Amino acid sequence: MSLLYALLVGVVMGALLQRVGASSPRMILASLRLRNLAIIKFMATTIAVGSVLVYLMSLFMPMHFDIKPTYVLGVAIGGVIFGVGFAVAGYCPGPCVVGVGEGRRDALMTVVGGIAGALLFTLVYTLIEGSLIKPLNYGKITLADLLHVPAMAAAVGLAAVFLTGVTLMPTLRGKAPSAEP
Amino acid sequence: MTHASTSVPITTDRAAVSPPRWAVLGVLFGVLSAAAIALYGPIGVSGTYPRFIGAILRRLTPDYAASNPYLVKMGSLITPETMLVVGLLIGGFLASRLGGMPYKAGAVEMVHAEETTNGKRYFNAFLGGLLIVFGARLAGGCTSGHIISGITQLSVSGLLFAAAVFGGGMLTARLIKPAVGGR
Repeated sequence: MSLLYALLVGVVMGALLQRVGASSPRMILASLRLRNLAIIKFMATTIAVGSVLVYLMSLFMPMHFDIKPTYVLGVAIGGVIFGVGFAVAGYCPGPCVVGVGEGRRDALMTVVGGIAGALLFTLVYTLIEGSLIKPLNYGKITLADLLHVPAMAAAVGLAAVFLTGVTLMPTLRGKAPSAEP
Repeated sequence: MTHASTSVPITTDRAAVSPPRWAVLGVLFGVLSAAAIALYGPIGVSGTYPRFIGAILRRLTPDYAASNPYLVKMGSLITPETMLVVGLLIGGFLASRLGGMPYKAGAVEMVHAEETTNGKRYFNAFLGGLLIVFGARLAGGCTSGHIISGITQLSVSGLLFAAAVFGGGMLTARLIKPAVGGR
């Protein structure tokens, strides 16, 4: 049953990502160059709504929470490598699959590159596990643990900060690409 | 006189309350991500890439696959996450065919000034793909698992990953010259 739910979630998610422009490398680069913040605002809205909803729902029903551990070195270095690749390709691991569905040929190249990256990581895992993944691992910690507040309070606080940010920030900034240094 | 003075603010109000596309889609995605956590678990994508490698290596070199701790840890390809990735393919296909967005099938968007031919664009797309999945596996998740699902569940790792991604990404985007006509 989980497999069927996940398939349906994937179809809707793929359509949403396509419609917001997350599978367009131009939109991604415009976000990273802070020219068009629509995708960043979309993500912040998603997180704000999702966070309040899941902790509200958790008061009435069991939820399948799964929090990832905070191993500082691997998460931070992996994030920077991801960020560089994100700017070079203009795709994330999910939206490039959406792009393949749309018929984008460069998206297919990103998927192939992703498979190569996964193979490379599989081959070097034992070499980097001891230095980047095992040390400085604080486990499955959340903002609520850090701030010593109930999860619902942390979710409402986070949502308030994110929604205030997206309301105050302009969506479009700058104009001509020649203004770039 | 009264008609004119009341009708003007009403039109302005209507324009002001019409929500932008990112807000409508963001609320829908928030409900979807919460529904996934209620139904089976948080959404995620990047783990599918090494599970795919595992499925292939278990056929080609079963002994190596069984001895590689990462492939053992990631396990079978038959997981909800793999089904979600199949769904992304279908969702992208349907949304691009059912109208709404100006999009030409097979089009390639050039994003960097050096991308003067399709071949150069394909090379960047490949290189970037390698880096995003390597980085995501090192960090234990990507934009979906760490940023969307992670921060939704208030995880500290998701916030740290997001800061690193946008720091590295914005700096790189600033260092690379944009394509002519690109944004």
